[in-house]
Amino acid sequence: MAALREAEFGALQALLKAPSRDAVRQLCQESFSSPPAALGPLARRACPGLAAAPEEAAQLVSALHNLTRHVVYRGLTKPEDILALFPENFHQNLKNLLTKIILENVSAWRNEAQASQISLPRLVDMDWRVDIKTSSDNISRMAVPTCLLQLKIQEDAALCGNNPVVSAVTVELSKETLETMLEGLGRIRDQLSAVANK
Amino acid sequence: LCVVYSGALKRNLSSEQVRADFIALGLSEEKASYFAEQWKLNSPALTRLAVGQTLMINQLVDMEWKFGVTAGSSELQKVGSIFLQLKLVIKKGGQMENVYMELTLPQFYSFLHEMERVKTSLESFS
Repeated sequence: MAALREAEFGALQALLKAPSRDAVRQLCQESFSSPPAALGPLARRACPGLAAAPEEAAQLVSALHNLTRHVVYRGLTKPEDILALFPENFHQNLKNLLTKIILENVSAWRNEAQASQISLPRLVDMDWRVDIKTSSDNISRMAVPTCLLQLKIQEDAALCGNNPVVSAVTVELSKETLETMLEGLGRIRDQLSAVANK
Repeated sequence: LCVVYSGALKRNLSSEQVRADFIALGLSEEKASYFAEQWKLNSPALTRLAVGQTLMINQLVDMEWKFGVTAGSSELQKVGSIFLQLKLVIKKGGQMENVYMELTLPQFYSFLHEMERVKTSLESFS
């Protein structure tokens, strides 16, 4: 599967008009991180800096997005692999610059992709406290320890954009429930060790 | 009989006190002693039952899990990371509510460690 279509590589040549290497670097990073829907506004912001027409900027930003995402998707880490993506007649210096920028960023980009993967809501924090119940409407005197556990759970980042929703669930566990839970967690730990040792 | 016994439970009465109560209510000495004996035999079990009925907030009723490996995603062809998914079943008022969450491996070990600390704490108070 080719990384980009020929026309897209053509669009990348607009980078030759960029004011500096840093400008190119910044545009690469922003093009990778931006979701497809936000590429339009990004292109409009980049236009003036590149002295490019609006459609040229849009095609450039889209091509950068596709190229960087392709490299991250395939997990390419060697310079030769990235250089090989470009067509024969592509501008040498630009090719080397882009390869260098991509190599610098690829592991950060990979982490970014993994962090924003779809998933169930994620546990972000947990707190606990142990209370002693001393009396109730049924018994006037007792000393029963009980555990209150608060779990902070964050909804899927992709759904919430920049405002992740964190909800807190507070659960009460008796001693017996806790012991059963620990048994379950112990089994998970044993299974994980078995998988890790394979 | 129920009223006398549940009153006794609420006030943590000894069997002597229960016997005195029954006599005050008009029972013969023999019958009062019999009921007081019954109370003495059964009060531990009754106490446990009453404790079991004590109000609990959002009681954890069940926990299910699965773990697996993320093989790939739309952003990354090869991933190979382990995920753990937990489902907690919580009793809220009369209804059950399910809470789903995902943990990374380090989070799981940290969670396990904290729960073991809780167990130690609960045991020291029993």
